[in-house]
Amino acid sequence: MRSLLLAVLAAYLIAAIHSILAFVNKRRSLQRVAQWSTLVGFILHTTALIADWVIDGHYPLFFPRETLSFLAWALVALYQVVLYRYRAQALGAFTMPLISVLTFIALIIGSGSGVTPAGFSTTWLFPIHTTLLIFAYAAFFIVFIASVMYLLQERELKLKTFGAIFHRLPSLTTVNELATAAGGVGLTLLTLGIVTGMFWSSIRTGRVWHNDPKEIFALLTWMLYFVLTVYRSTASWRGRRAAWLGVIGFALVLCTFFGARLLPGYHVFG
Amino acid sequence: MSILLIGVNHKTAPVEIRERLAFNDEACADGLRRLVDGDVVREGLIVSTCNRVEILSATANDQLEFGAGRLTQFLDTTGRLPTGFLEQHLYRHTDENAVRHLFRVASSLDSMVVGEPQVLGQVRHAYSLAVQAGTAGRVLNRLVHHTFRVAKRVRTETGIAANAISISYMAVELGKKIFDSLKGCTVMLIGAGEMAELSARHLVNAGAARVIIANRTEETAQQIAQEFGGTAVSLQQLDQALAEADVVICSTGAPNYVLTEAHARAARERRRNRPTCFIDISVPRNIDPAVSNVPNVFLFDIDDLESVISSNIREREREAERAELIVQSEVMQFQQTLRLMDVGPSIGAMRDKFQDVARAELARQRKRLGPLTKDQETAIESLLMSIVNKISHPVMNQMRRFYETGESDDAESPQDPTGLED
Repeated sequence: MRSLLLAVLAAYLIAAIHSILAFVNKRRSLQRVAQWSTLVGFILHTTALIADWVIDGHYPLFFPRETLSFLAWALVALYQVVLYRYRAQALGAFTMPLISVLTFIALIIGSGSGVTPAGFSTTWLFPIHTTLLIFAYAAFFIVFIASVMYLLQERELKLKTFGAIFHRLPSLTTVNELATAAGGVGLTLLTLGIVTGMFWSSIRTGRVWHNDPKEIFALLTWMLYFVLTVYRSTASWRGRRAAWLGVIGFALVLCTFFGARLLPGYHVFG
Repeated sequence: MSILLIGVNHKTAPVEIRERLAFNDEACADGLRRLVDGDVVREGLIVSTCNRVEILSATANDQLEFGAGRLTQFLDTTGRLPTGFLEQHLYRHTDENAVRHLFRVASSLDSMVVGEPQVLGQVRHAYSLAVQAGTAGRVLNRLVHHTFRVAKRVRTETGIAANAISISYMAVELGKKIFDSLKGCTVMLIGAGEMAELSARHLVNAGAARVIIANRTEETAQQIAQEFGGTAVSLQQLDQALAEADVVICSTGAPNYVLTEAHARAARERRRNRPTCFIDISVPRNIDPAVSNVPNVFLFDIDDLESVISSNIREREREAERAELIVQSEVMQFQQTLRLMDVGPSIGAMRDKFQDVARAELARQRKRLGPLTKDQETAIESLLMSIVNKISHPVMNQMRRFYETGESDDAESPQDPTGLED
């Protein structure tokens, strides 16, 4: 499936370059190219993932290569939803490069070594648990980017610099709403992901908690986004402060994601 | 036929000269009839606005110099100016340059404020006057229609007119950067100035739902409130009103701060952190700059508005560069159309000639064919016509191509010149 993934990477790269150019030059025609190539890349990527699943016989979300590829796919999916819903085209210039990098790494680290532990390919909880969490990470990334855009635009308005950023970034309300919505979606997915994980673990070992670093980070992340969502909904934290939390929170998300890599524990990567 | 354009604009002539040359509608029609003689100056059109007076004409190819002289003389007599007086203010463009100039004018690239929308309407009006006067012919019709297309393309494909450059419109522009859409927003005016009212008008046009007016003299407040269908409040009710306002425009004549940080903090509290946009267009300032320290509150004074404007002008200039490229490619396209127009009729006439020859031959030989039914006669005629067309079609196509590109491709393509091989 490497050649297919190569085509996916090519499409994403084209989309990334055109998104950045569209962002800089504000050209609708460039944006169209970016959107079409994103769509083509997404369709190819979906095909590649299904093909992986069929050929390898396990859900394609186990080895690092698969995880990164799946994460990129989830990001593209969310990005397209955001584009459709909020018309925040500027997002592409931020997300598409990262998506390309993820796809590129997935491509060069090659096929995973070793075989899938038997337990993983048989239970239906594995795909659900992992998919939910990958989409949660993707949603938190959207929160992160929206928060960064908010802070940049807010700074522009407060300092009255009115430079290129001012003309190119969406309005404060748009990015604020986007961050709120993505935060809510992310929190819901994270909750469901953690619950399915606990359920699966209780079936496997009879325990729901292992003091595993990934679990601890996940819990911290959950708490942070829970606080953020509650504060946003009661409107006492709106705008700047919420945006900062969205940025800082993402560091915790990264720790959760790479948790099993940093410190050994019950979880394997993925 | 050559296209010739002479004129003066705000860059080349001061207003004292431009006003002497300006045409009103009647003078324009009159002047056109005087100018277009059907011999040297075949077609004409006069664009007369406060920033420019330009005469566009289609002139016989070999009498370009003479034609230019006539146009200059025409302007001299219009302005009752001594001969040669205009020479230093006048610009003169021919053919490709004239076309480019017209495209640039209509696309508002040559305007005092790049991207202003009026000039296209003025060109449109000038054209309709020329049509009424009967001085817009084959060439100018084509040219002007092409011009409209170019202007439209420039407007839609570049952001040349995208960013506002007037103080009164800034409230809308900044509001959109904060609230995305102004639909349903509440606007509050503190003090009543012309500029503040104009800003409010723009905001209402952009979708603002409610206008609140606070003024020292309540009578004025009532009056403006009526105008906008809004509500008037006294300055004592300021805090209450501020809590409801999304955009606040302040322009009182007061020598001190009317709004302080405390006001803004109280309003934010009541608004549950929803953002507010304060615009202070008064000098001396009426809103304490410290208001800016309150989170989710955005304050802009008159200097800030000026700096958005200059940033917007820079954006427009960047877009204008792209517009120039569009104009350039359209000029080239129009040159092709023009070349084709010169030969178009003769190519068409050639086919008629061929068909006439065929019909004449048929008439000559008709007797030898003996009696024929109606159907047979039609069949023979259509047979002849189809042979003529089949033979002439590729030849004429070749000719058309030749004139479109302006060069022959025979040298490289050794194919059958009749194009009948296949």
